[in-house]
Amino acid sequence: MNESIVRLRNLSKSFAGVDAVQAVEMEVTPGERRAVLGPNGAGKTTLFNLIAGAERPTAGAIELFGRDVTNLPAWQRARLGLARTFQTSRVLPGLSVEDNLYVAALGADGGHLRFVANRRDARLRSRARGAAERVGLADRLRSSARDLSHGEQRQLELGIAMVAEPRLLLLDEPAAGLSRAERQLLTQLLLSLDRDVTVMLIEHDMDVALTIAERVTIMHYGRVVLEGTPAEIRADQRVHDIYLGRTYAV
Amino acid sequence: MRAYTTARWIVLAVIGIMVTLLPELSPTYVSSSIALPTLTTGLCAISLTFLSTYGGLVSLAQTGLFGVAGLLAASLAVESHVDPALAGLIGIAAAATAGLLFGALASSSTGTYFLMITLALGEISYYLFSAVPAFGLHEGINAVFPPSWLGDPVRHPTAIYYFILLVAVGFHLLLRYLVRTPFGMALQGVRDDPERMTALGYNVRVHRTLAFALAAAIAGTAGVLAAWTNTRISADSISLGVTIGVLEAAVIGGMYSLEGAWIGAFTLTVLSIYGPAFTDRYATVLGILFLAIVLVSPGGLTGVLTSIDRRVRHALSNQQLPALADRGASEQPRG
Amino acid sequence: METRGGRRSTEGEGAPERGGAWARWRGRAWARWRGLLSRGQLAVGRSASVAGALAVLSAAWVFYQVFDAGLGESGNVPNFIIITLNALSLAGLFFLAASGLTLIFGLMRVVNMAHGSLYLLGGYIAWSLTSSLGVNWWVAVIVATLAAGVFGLAMEELFLRWNLGQDLRQALITIALSVILADQMLNVFGGTAQQVSPPDLLAGPVGLGIYDLSYPAFRLFVVGVALAVGIALWFWIQRTRFGMVVRAGIDDGAMTSALGVNVRAVFAVAFFVGSCLAGLGGAFGGTVLSLAPGQDQVFLVSSIVVVIIGGMGSLAGAAIGALLLAFVEQYSAVYLPSGFGPYSMVVTFVLVAAVLALKPTGLFGRPA
Repeated sequence: MNESIVRLRNLSKSFAGVDAVQAVEMEVTPGERRAVLGPNGAGKTTLFNLIAGAERPTAGAIELFGRDVTNLPAWQRARLGLARTFQTSRVLPGLSVEDNLYVAALGADGGHLRFVANRRDARLRSRARGAAERVGLADRLRSSARDLSHGEQRQLELGIAMVAEPRLLLLDEPAAGLSRAERQLLTQLLLSLDRDVTVMLIEHDMDVALTIAERVTIMHYGRVVLEGTPAEIRADQRVHDIYLGRTYAV
Repeated sequence: MRAYTTARWIVLAVIGIMVTLLPELSPTYVSSSIALPTLTTGLCAISLTFLSTYGGLVSLAQTGLFGVAGLLAASLAVESHVDPALAGLIGIAAAATAGLLFGALASSSTGTYFLMITLALGEISYYLFSAVPAFGLHEGINAVFPPSWLGDPVRHPTAIYYFILLVAVGFHLLLRYLVRTPFGMALQGVRDDPERMTALGYNVRVHRTLAFALAAAIAGTAGVLAAWTNTRISADSISLGVTIGVLEAAVIGGMYSLEGAWIGAFTLTVLSIYGPAFTDRYATVLGILFLAIVLVSPGGLTGVLTSIDRRVRHALSNQQLPALADRGASEQPRG
Repeated sequence: METRGGRRSTEGEGAPERGGAWARWRGRAWARWRGLLSRGQLAVGRSASVAGALAVLSAAWVFYQVFDAGLGESGNVPNFIIITLNALSLAGLFFLAASGLTLIFGLMRVVNMAHGSLYLLGGYIAWSLTSSLGVNWWVAVIVATLAAGVFGLAMEELFLRWNLGQDLRQALITIALSVILADQMLNVFGGTAQQVSPPDLLAGPVGLGIYDLSYPAFRLFVVGVALAVGIALWFWIQRTRFGMVVRAGIDDGAMTSALGVNVRAVFAVAFFVGSCLAGLGGAFGGTVLSLAPGQDQVFLVSSIVVVIIGGMGSLAGAAIGALLLAFVEQYSAVYLPSGFGPYSMVVTFVLVAAVLALKPTGLFGRPA
């Protein structure tokens, strides 16, 4: 068994001449909480897209769960146990909250092409309701996802990523647009996650990020400039240079 | 409120009874000239409506697939003297296979690009059929008859009417059922956000392809049944004009609920019978109706009926307007 | 497919170790099926080589048919030259029609399903001007081109600009308009096929200088005009400020508005030019071929196939697509083994299918 969950080697991605991600090396160990920070345009979301398989790298290799997945399509990576959230909520607007969570649970479970619902679906549905409870949507199960408020959509987004019981969870700015109270709930929820799950997190809210993370990677112009514990990050002058003079894009 | 609900049920029940007892209640003409075309066009339209409502895909290949099944079944029965029922099943299987192929080719696209690819594939089928002598060129294949146990479709359409009604209701219920199954739920997810579904572990192309093949089988069934009821079929039965006719039926009825296919097919059939008596420019009038529906009520007649229903109930109950149900599940019961 | 239970997808790799030959076969077949579906590079590479082999085989077959009987007067070479010229002039017509469609789609994401109607309208206007009013052919073609452009512009202004971004609805609107236009043209111009007489200058045949062959001058002129239009469009898009906006819009629709240009005006101009190209194509098509109800659909479908092959929004793609489609249509009608002539559409289907399997966005298309 390989000891790292995520291993990126010399990973690069350029769009029409712009280097969004440049020669990134990274290792994330099982159960780790890793925050990826950096100003807007630092290449954080592109990095997530590369790990999740939504985009193909220009160069370099990606290993997930000790296996080279560089050429594996996104849906197969998801089946290996990877789940993600998106920067803007990507819930399924035509389905109810419960159906959103059920479809998410079914995705990793396999058997998408069954034409008869069976006992497995009953189990998946109860898992979906459990996830709704965890993210605080237990009383909105029957509501259509398009009728949810912004905050509720963020909750559902998180539920969709968690219900599949992934081994690796990529969270892209889960706190964006949330109220202070909602942020606290989110932090609690993330802290309560099982240690079987490895979490990678992009977040502009430093309070949320540094409370949850054990290690932090700072990105700037597509490169990793620094990696360390939250305490080291707080103390490092370069981090202040990168962020100072820039408006916090929250 | 209760009076309205009752009235609504009575109207639906009357429609149901009329549909069930149609051959007893009306002259043969109504069955053969209105009811049969409504059902076969409706079956072709519902294959399109199903894809659009639950897959988010608007296909213009449905009449092409209708033709694959209808022309093959007719050719086998008339030229090769295969039993009509067997020929029909072979035709439907061929349509489903073609659907699998077409679906696989178009499945990486959505929206207007999907529309264009399916148009191209459907039209290539049309040009192929109109060039191959075995399918009677533009002349078509004549004297196509249904299996003998369905009787003479022209003079005694009762048996075939009930048979097609059964098939139509069967497919409608099958589709209603299907969208609640794991496959159907996933298909709706693919409709809403394919990228999201990919990130959840779904191979979205497989879902689109299978949905397309299923719709192809339904369109193929419509093709075989239409060849039987018209006792003939030709390449021109699947020309672009006919394709657009089916699209008109689906859009006029409403592309966001399965019921729309039947309402649209009925409306279009009645208009095509009585319209030309009033105007030489019937096609223009139909085009304007089509345009008006697209501009004013994208939900078609079903959308209009549903919103009238909601308004009336709202006015009667004086409560808050309920949130629109998801666009797939219309409140308008089957008619 | 994965009916056997909720195992994670390592199943494909795990299966061979677990059981006998059947399980191994199943595992391997499953992995292969997945590879085909996953658009992995392997699958694309394999279909590319299949497509390449098919192309080489068909070229070899045509070559054999052409040169089998030698280069002599009695051989098949003279016929081949004529067929090739036919294909070239047809490609010219396809390009004229398709370039307008691809320009409009590339910039506005609107599939103008009434494009064929504008083609036919342009043709009919040129026909009525020359035949009934005795207008000079050149003037008639210019008027027809501009009239189709104005008509298309009116369509855009009246119906489409309110629905920007609603691609499917716009497509349905243009389908409805094409139905109305087809019926109105039937009403005004009648149902019999008409042909525009070419200008005197180009009416006769020209000698080709080999095998004593001659060929209609006008058809050669079509090729020249298509080439000229292609070059003009290329300059317009690559070398002018307007073209820069168009290119930016093709790359990224949202970017055009960020450039501070009047997007609506740009769209209107693009729709006008695209519609003009349809009308020009119709005027030429009406001179080379004929004008009749249904020709609108023929050219709509051809343009769409060209654009699917070449890639949406790409001018080079429209040119390559037009050439491929025209040559495949002409050669397969003649050179398919005897008895298979009626099945020539199958070859067109294989062409479209091969392109979609290799590059779903067309040969020159960008990933959506």
